[in-house]
Amino acid sequence: MKKQVIIFQLNGEPAEIHIDPAKSLLKVIREEFGLYGTKAGCGKGECGACTVLLEGQAVNSCLIPAGKINGCSVETIENLSRGEDIHPLQKAFAEKGAVQCGFCTPGMIMSAYAFLKSNPRPQPPEVRTAISGNLCRCTGYKQIEAAILAAAPEMDKENKG
Amino acid sequence: MKTDTGTVKVPIGEEKDFQSAEIWARVTGKAVYGSDFSLPGMLYGKILRSPYPHALVKNIDISGAESLPGVRAVLTGAGLQCKKYGIAVDDELPLALEKVRYIGDEVAAVAAVDPETAERALEAISVGYENLPAVYDPDKALEEGAPQLHEDFPGNTAWQRDLRRGNPDAAFKEADLVVENKFTIPAVHPAYLEPISCVAVYDPYNGLILHTALQSPDSVRAIVARVLEMPLSRVRVIGPAMGGGFGGRVYGNLKLYIISSLLAVKTGRPVKLELTREEEFTVGRPMVSASIKMRMALRRDGKILAREADIITDNGAYSAQAPWVSKTLSERNDSVYRLPAVRTRLRLVYTNKVPTAQYRAYGNQAANFATESLMDMAAGELGIDPLELRLRNCTREGDTTVHGLQIESCALSSCLQEAAKEIGWGSKKEGRGYGLSAAIHANGSLVFDKNFRGSSALARLELDGRVTIFTGEQDYGQGTHAAFALIAARALDLDPQLITVQSGDTLSSPYSTGALAMRQTTIGGRAVQLAARDLREKITRLAAELSGQQVALEKDILAGTSGVPRDFAAVAYYYHTLTSGLNLTGEGKFVPGPADYDESGYGNISLTYSFAAHAAEVEIDRATGALTVHRLVAAHDSGRIVNYRSACGQVYGGVTQGIGMSCYEGYLFDGGRVANPSFADYRIPTSLDVPEIVPLFIETEDPAGPYGSKGIGEIVMVPVLGAIANAVADAAGARVTDLPLTAEKIYEALAGWECAD
Amino acid sequence: MSYLVATSLEEALTYLRDSGGRARVVAGATDLYLKDLPHSLVDLSALPGASVIEEADGLITLGACLTHASAASSILILSRATALAEGCMAIGSPQIRNIATLGGNVVNAAPAADAAVALVALGASAVLVDTGGRSREEAVEDLYVIFNRSAVDSTSEILLKLTIKSCGTGEGSAFTRFAPRRALSLPLVNAAARVRIENGCFREVRLVVAPVKPAPTRLLQTEAMLEGMAPCEETWRLVERAASEEVEVRSSLLRCSARYRNHLVGVLAARVLQAASERAREEEGVDGR
Ligand SMILES: Cc1cc2nc3c(=O)[nH]c(=O)nc-3n(C[C@H](O)[C@H](O)[C@H](O)COP(=O)(O)OP(=O)(O)OC[C@H]3O[C@@H](n4cnc5c(N)ncnc54)[C@H](O)[C@@H]3O)c2cc1C
Ligand code: FES
Ligand code: FES
Repeated sequence: MKKQVIIFQLNGEPAEIHIDPAKSLLKVIREEFGLYGTKAGCGKGECGACTVLLEGQAVNSCLIPAGKINGCSVETIENLSRGEDIHPLQKAFAEKGAVQCGFCTPGMIMSAYAFLKSNPRPQPPEVRTAISGNLCRCTGYKQIEAAILAAAPEMDKENKG
Repeated sequence: MKTDTGTVKVPIGEEKDFQSAEIWARVTGKAVYGSDFSLPGMLYGKILRSPYPHALVKNIDISGAESLPGVRAVLTGAGLQCKKYGIAVDDELPLALEKVRYIGDEVAAVAAVDPETAERALEAISVGYENLPAVYDPDKALEEGAPQLHEDFPGNTAWQRDLRRGNPDAAFKEADLVVENKFTIPAVHPAYLEPISCVAVYDPYNGLILHTALQSPDSVRAIVARVLEMPLSRVRVIGPAMGGGFGGRVYGNLKLYIISSLLAVKTGRPVKLELTREEEFTVGRPMVSASIKMRMALRRDGKILAREADIITDNGAYSAQAPWVSKTLSERNDSVYRLPAVRTRLRLVYTNKVPTAQYRAYGNQAANFATESLMDMAAGELGIDPLELRLRNCTREGDTTVHGLQIESCALSSCLQEAAKEIGWGSKKEGRGYGLSAAIHANGSLVFDKNFRGSSALARLELDGRVTIFTGEQDYGQGTHAAFALIAARALDLDPQLITVQSGDTLSSPYSTGALAMRQTTIGGRAVQLAARDLREKITRLAAELSGQQVALEKDILAGTSGVPRDFAAVAYYYHTLTSGLNLTGEGKFVPGPADYDESGYGNISLTYSFAAHAAEVEIDRATGALTVHRLVAAHDSGRIVNYRSACGQVYGGVTQGIGMSCYEGYLFDGGRVANPSFADYRIPTSLDVPEIVPLFIETEDPAGPYGSKGIGEIVMVPVLGAIANAVADAAGARVTDLPLTAEKIYEALAGWECAD
Repeated sequence: MSYLVATSLEEALTYLRDSGGRARVVAGATDLYLKDLPHSLVDLSALPGASVIEEADGLITLGACLTHASAASSILILSRATALAEGCMAIGSPQIRNIATLGGNVVNAAPAADAAVALVALGASAVLVDTGGRSREEAVEDLYVIFNRSAVDSTSEILLKLTIKSCGTGEGSAFTRFAPRRALSLPLVNAAARVRIENGCFREVRLVVAPVKPAPTRLLQTEAMLEGMAPCEETWRLVERAASEEVEVRSSLLRCSARYRNHLVGVLAARVLQAASERAREEEGVDGR
């Protein structure tokens, strides 16, 4: 197993690792950086539990070889809150009943986060499409949709403010 | 009786937005799930599985694996001295001894310093197999001369039941109409999003600790202790956060817990075993598939006279809870309507396929699909409106049903009427199909574990005046802890934010049979209520003793004159000093009387019963058979609703699972091999596949549950199947009796094709 | 393994050449990563021009590393090569579309790859260059050898770009698919068409369905039949029958029976033609009647 140096931005900070570039981004963030908020539900791009932002876009981190992130920015669920200061999406998820077991939640929030950044005033069908790569077995998605719609104006305000 | 049936009520007001403390960890990604859990010095386990559906294990050579650097233990069945174990019947061994019975059967296990080394160790094990003829079709497995799976179960029958109530023969003779059909329901997987994992830790001084999230940690603990022949107190189960359960984590994957324990004992190091998603589907246990031949006898006026069913459930290679699921499947649904007579024959059959277990609603949904389909067929034949036919027959308050269930609160008829009204039964849209379905589900089964029908809880007053509830009832997102906090808050007159609910460690939690059979709110909630009341009494008594005068409890302030402790904290501290360190603790024991039932299972087997009626509106593309479910109305009698938002969450989630089972999900087999072991091919609904769902709560005041409440978690998915099947039949003018209702099957029915080629 | 994110075409080709067949090209990795990984990978997504969308002289040029998400939201593709936008939008999930590429979809050579089906209907060409410096241009449908095997050897050849003749006046294209679930689902059947309508009649129809053969399959007989016919109910009925009769499809345990798939081929062929012809008539300036 040959290792390579990979330099990238992780949650706004410079990061550097020496690693087998075939390893998945999912494993890199969990095992190398201890960021266990990103979950693994299938390891094959079929559930979305591992969703993170790569260059601002939602991707399945289980399908990204570490070699690919060289020079890129990566953002995980851990970047959305600082202590008690939590993101409007996280607050809305908690308050709207959008979380049951919570295993899909980090990935779901990251998909919603990427989506709302480019669609500050979304319609319900757009929200449903935006989270269609994130499986949730618990909630039936209804309260998730409501939470994302509720968070949109808050997030828009925050971005402008 | 204090019921006020028939009103859609606003739920208990101010608590409706209450969320338990776990939520914050979950939204920030800080919650630690089993798959996130690790310990210093931990080894990684892997399991070698049989590639054959049925074979003799002639020899296993582990020398190559043992000599690999980094490998710490290699186990085979021959090296163990374990007795057979099981849940309903004892038919499993931790590792195969002489024979493997399905593709995936556990043959050997290794523990190594990292997953890659463990994987290489598996490759270094060589196993000599001698193939045996295999059998996959349960009908064939019952035939004379079929390959036999287990010596102890001749004829491949794992469990059977022949049941008769009343006089079905006379009823069928007397009937004006007999409707019948055969219904098939494939194996379905709970498909919780987090695959099961376990970290086992052992040392000879402290015993065994399993870090794994379970719906019923106490039951698993008992089995693991039995298999490893350890004293019960030497086995402890600690639950990290659980990524979904739906019945699949009541016993979870027992093999995984036992094998990781054996590896931990052998190595003296923590060992982690984890299933992949593919293994979840191929060795993690789906619910039994069923084929149901059902007949129903009716009078011209729509009165049901009798129902007969011949059921075969496919057990796969081992039993787990399949006998219990089969039992529920064979009887529960009969109590939806007033049936004077019933005959049921059920065979649970071993085949060389993935072993089965249970899923939310325990097979009741499979029977619902069959019965409710027949109801609509009968309505059609008799020229009676399907709603009317159901109303004429449905179970009502005060009934004793055909199996002896005593119905003390029941709003089923209102559920039917409200669901029909909301879906637009009277003003159906052109080109759409409409379907109705009704259901009953027990909550708080008294027969699950005869010795533990109830639940207990402790309410401990902390020194700062907060209260901690200790319960054995698990929360994995279904809202149990929030509901308990609300129940305790009410009993204590305390802000629910000041109450912490603690469970998930068998060392500190009271024993519980677990999060199953919708017993949590009803039975567990009563125990919490009693514990909180006990604490409240103790607080008032102590405050009075301390001050020498009468005190009253108002919110969390103890009112009285001078000298009275100001609040809970003062009482807590007073008791603490008085006892040199104890916390004032309330105890709650809720022990329902023994269920009164006979050998045939006749009797009142549960504390109380929830009811529901669902109505579906669908559309079919006649050119392709493509099905669109537009709306699903879910009317529920779950007594008083404790937490409106999480009750809605249960409805949305459960209905969605019902839609999955109706339209998309089901195991496909290629011989003995699972052909669709992935989320790509075992299709659970995505956000784009869920219709509008309308929850309606018809609140009754149940005498048994805490504050009149009943369970909701399982019944939510039951009526979906019948409602959608009936709506599809209404839209298509032809009926599909084989789940899931794929476009292909619907088109075949529309086009009158004989069967798929 | 080693992983090179190439910054120039020369660098990528040199690396491939020096690796003597042990290195392979990668783009989004959504197909490749789930298979046995080669000794080394050369990532093309950062190459200059790898994701361009341009139009010049009625020819649309698309970089091979264009993602499905970018293709599906490009105004140019939406208006001038609509079938491709629709095909790309149907793929997997938002996460997959954000990283998976057109080039990967073609070279992975799945028989019913959604973007590839649209590209073949649009008459797209692939521009390729190999480690020996040779360049070639091929029709996309000619890049398939057997099921799941491309004529492009990704250890020594690079698909650089795809070119499509832009749909002009009187032209239109469309894509449709039939899948068991609305997201994260491969299709049972997909279909795409490009048509030109002149004086109310079909001219130069390209009608493609899949999975039938290793490559997205043109229904040549149905296309020929359509020449000169008017887009109307009667035509759709004829197309449905002709398309079903023209192909032979396979049963699959995971998807559906051959009989049903065959039926779907007819229905989808008719539907996609109808959608394409409606667009062509909008372009022609004639209203739908
Ligand atoms: C969960 C999931 C769902 C999916 N759903 C769909 C779907 O609905 N429809 C569909 O069509 N596909 C689907 N796919 C398949 C896949 O995403 C697409 O085929 C995608 O377009 C492949 O692009 P890529 O860039 O990721 O390819 P890669 O994986 O990077 O490459 C695929 C192959 O092409 C070669 N290659 C890539 N680019 C070039 C190039 N420029 N020159 C030469 N060779 C090259 C590689 O060497 C490799 O052999 C799905 C995949 C996943 C994981
Ligand atoms: S773990 Fe990456 S998509 Fe499921
Ligand atoms: S909350 Fe459990 S999977 Fe979404």
